[in-house]
Amino acid sequence: MAGTTHRFPPPLRGALLLLAALALAAAALLPAAPAAADDAKAREIMQRVNDRDDGDNQTADMQMTLISRHGERRERTIKSFRKDRGKDTLTLSFFLSPADVKNTAFLTYDYDEPGKDDDQWLYLPELRKTKRIASSDKSGSFMGSDFNYSDMTRPDLTQYDFTLMQEVEVEGHKTWQIQAVPRTEQVKADIGYEKSVLWVRQDNLLVIRAIRWVHNSVRRKYMQVKSAERVDGIWIATEMQMVTREGNATVHATVLKWSNIRFNQNLSPDMFTVRRLEQGY
Amino acid sequence: MTATRIVPALLLVLAALAWGSGPAAAQAPGDDLLQGFQEAKPPGASPGEGGDLLGGFEELKPLTAEPTAAEPTAPSLWALNGFARLDGAYNYAHEAPPPGETDWRGLSKLRATLQLELSVDLPARWRAFVSGQASHDFVYELNGRDEYTDEVLERNEQEAEFRDVYLAGALLPRLDLKVGRQIVVWGLSDYIRVVDVLNPLDQREPGLADIEDLRLPVTMTRLDYYPEAWNLTAVAVHEIRFNKDPAFGSDFFPSPQPLPREEVPADGGDNTEWGFAAKGIFSGWDLGFYWARYFDDRAHLAAQPAGPPRLEHSRLTLGGAAVNVALGNWLLRSEAALVQGLRFFHGGGDTWRRVDALVGFEYSGITDATLGLEVADQHLLDYDPRLRQPPDIALEDVFQVAASYRQDFMHQTLQLQALALLFGERGQRGSLQRVSATYDLRDAVSVSGGVIVYQPGGDLNPLLQNAKDNDRVFFETRVDF
Repeated sequence: MAGTTHRFPPPLRGALLLLAALALAAAALLPAAPAAADDAKAREIMQRVNDRDDGDNQTADMQMTLISRHGERRERTIKSFRKDRGKDTLTLSFFLSPADVKNTAFLTYDYDEPGKDDDQWLYLPELRKTKRIASSDKSGSFMGSDFNYSDMTRPDLTQYDFTLMQEVEVEGHKTWQIQAVPRTEQVKADIGYEKSVLWVRQDNLLVIRAIRWVHNSVRRKYMQVKSAERVDGIWIATEMQMVTREGNATVHATVLKWSNIRFNQNLSPDMFTVRRLEQGY
Repeated sequence: MTATRIVPALLLVLAALAWGSGPAAAQAPGDDLLQGFQEAKPPGASPGEGGDLLGGFEELKPLTAEPTAAEPTAPSLWALNGFARLDGAYNYAHEAPPPGETDWRGLSKLRATLQLELSVDLPARWRAFVSGQASHDFVYELNGRDEYTDEVLERNEQEAEFRDVYLAGALLPRLDLKVGRQIVVWGLSDYIRVVDVLNPLDQREPGLADIEDLRLPVTMTRLDYYPEAWNLTAVAVHEIRFNKDPAFGSDFFPSPQPLPREEVPADGGDNTEWGFAAKGIFSGWDLGFYWARYFDDRAHLAAQPAGPPRLEHSRLTLGGAAVNVALGNWLLRSEAALVQGLRFFHGGGDTWRRVDALVGFEYSGITDATLGLEVADQHLLDYDPRLRQPPDIALEDVFQVAASYRQDFMHQTLQLQALALLFGERGQRGSLQRVSATYDLRDAVSVSGGVIVYQPGGDLNPLLQNAKDNDRVFFETRVDF
């Protein structure tokens, strides 16, 4: 009808205002949702985890065991070298076995600067060629394991919201239980996880357990540090496992074991070059 | 119900809700998550025991071979590796041939290959490497050797050759030497070669050669100098070796008649091929400059003052560049080269120049997958329409497109690959499409198979001219050791 102004009658307006007030009150009374909140304490802890002294000029042997849901096992052995260059980390890895990946090598420059993509190169011996890998998407599987590439590099803390959930004892160690939620959908897609819950040992800042919710999937990954040692004063995980589960069923598992860990090996920067990558181990 | 009664009712409901959530609020968020790491799943435990996250973690069975804490043994100074491979192909598109011609229907390859590689570590980080490969194709015996031409039997039935044989090491802290039979890969592209000219190719079965057998090693002396982010390379190629092309009588051979005699230059001396490269590796991008003086791997028919024409290989000069830029999940690449010294049957004694250019990308933003595209053009400068006539069949522009897709599944036990190569911007000069899968039965043991389809196209392309009915399925079993 022309000229009619739509207005709520007074009793209904009052009810709507009341409902709005009640909604606000209810939000205040209900337990605070932990997701997508960032607290200073949690961030400070995670910054300390990132800044933890993890040693320098490191050499190590790594054994990777991939276990299918049927119990079939595949083994990889890797010789790795790591060196800090300022705040950046250089890593060189040579695959020693099995025979079909022998002499494949991987070089990474992991930059500390937020937003700067890592430089990565992969040497393919069958092609006699080194390929640059351009991938800010780190959601892919590292060498077929349950670990993503994002699990193998230091995270950019500016891309997450952290929440301190509680302090709890795990395997006799006091830990902080921290939730980490990527701030954008793009980051979730790039790392492959919707969110993670981490357990950080309070004495040595090692992340000893984690649950990771796989992006766009019902799967979860359970990471556990099975053993840690102090080598040259540096705490380091010597055995880690990652189990991918779908519901209550184990889909796949990976065990990483490090041995012959050495620090302060006086590694030359020239070692972390494409030249060295192509020379082989 | 009036507002004066609604409000208290709602407040009561709200209070009830708050009270009901009280005990849950007292439990810290995430308490149940820790239970997902229970050390051992009790026998007979129901799947849902402990809640959704509680049962998510279980103790893995201990590995059967635990590493000992003994001192590490010194690595061996030598290693013997290699592989054994059985690969085959089945042609399904051929029709019955005319009398007297080879019947290529059915099984067309059943080849066993053994490659051995011996690597010896020498003092001061020098290394000696010797690899050899031998193969025998049983299909000729199975189908009857009389079915095939002598050239096919000679070139395809069995082979034995040294592959890489070299001595490599550092002469100075930043100066490396590598001398012997080897493969040197130039450029940044994956499928279309612009500056990658030092090694010939195995083109006996277009699109089917195993990737590591595609380039043929040649004897070279290579020096590499590494000032800062650069790699300066000088190469002298002593061994003159050309592409392995389809043999006369092969189902890929482009002519019903055998080719004229081929003039192959002697090794070394004035026939030495030369190459220089300067490659820079920077944060996020790479740059390379290339120069080479070499023989064209593809022969051209050359008239002779007396006697029939023969196949000759032009002496070419190449100057080119390549660049690679990484942007997020994109790897953008481009290559360009000027090639001088091309000769043609209808060109008299003149030489031609050609500009080759390529642009492409590789996209890795799909989890466990890679998508690639390369587009290239070879543009013949000062084009003469006479060159279009046989046997030259040279066009002013030859476009090539390569599209590839690769994805890993099942924790990299299964890999799917798709490749399409088009010659001509619309594939009018021929094309091929290949789809394959590789599955790891166990570590170092794999099986693969696929199908390849050829279209020869309207314009003549010697590489695919006779490939119209060569569609085939292929398979391979491989053991690495």
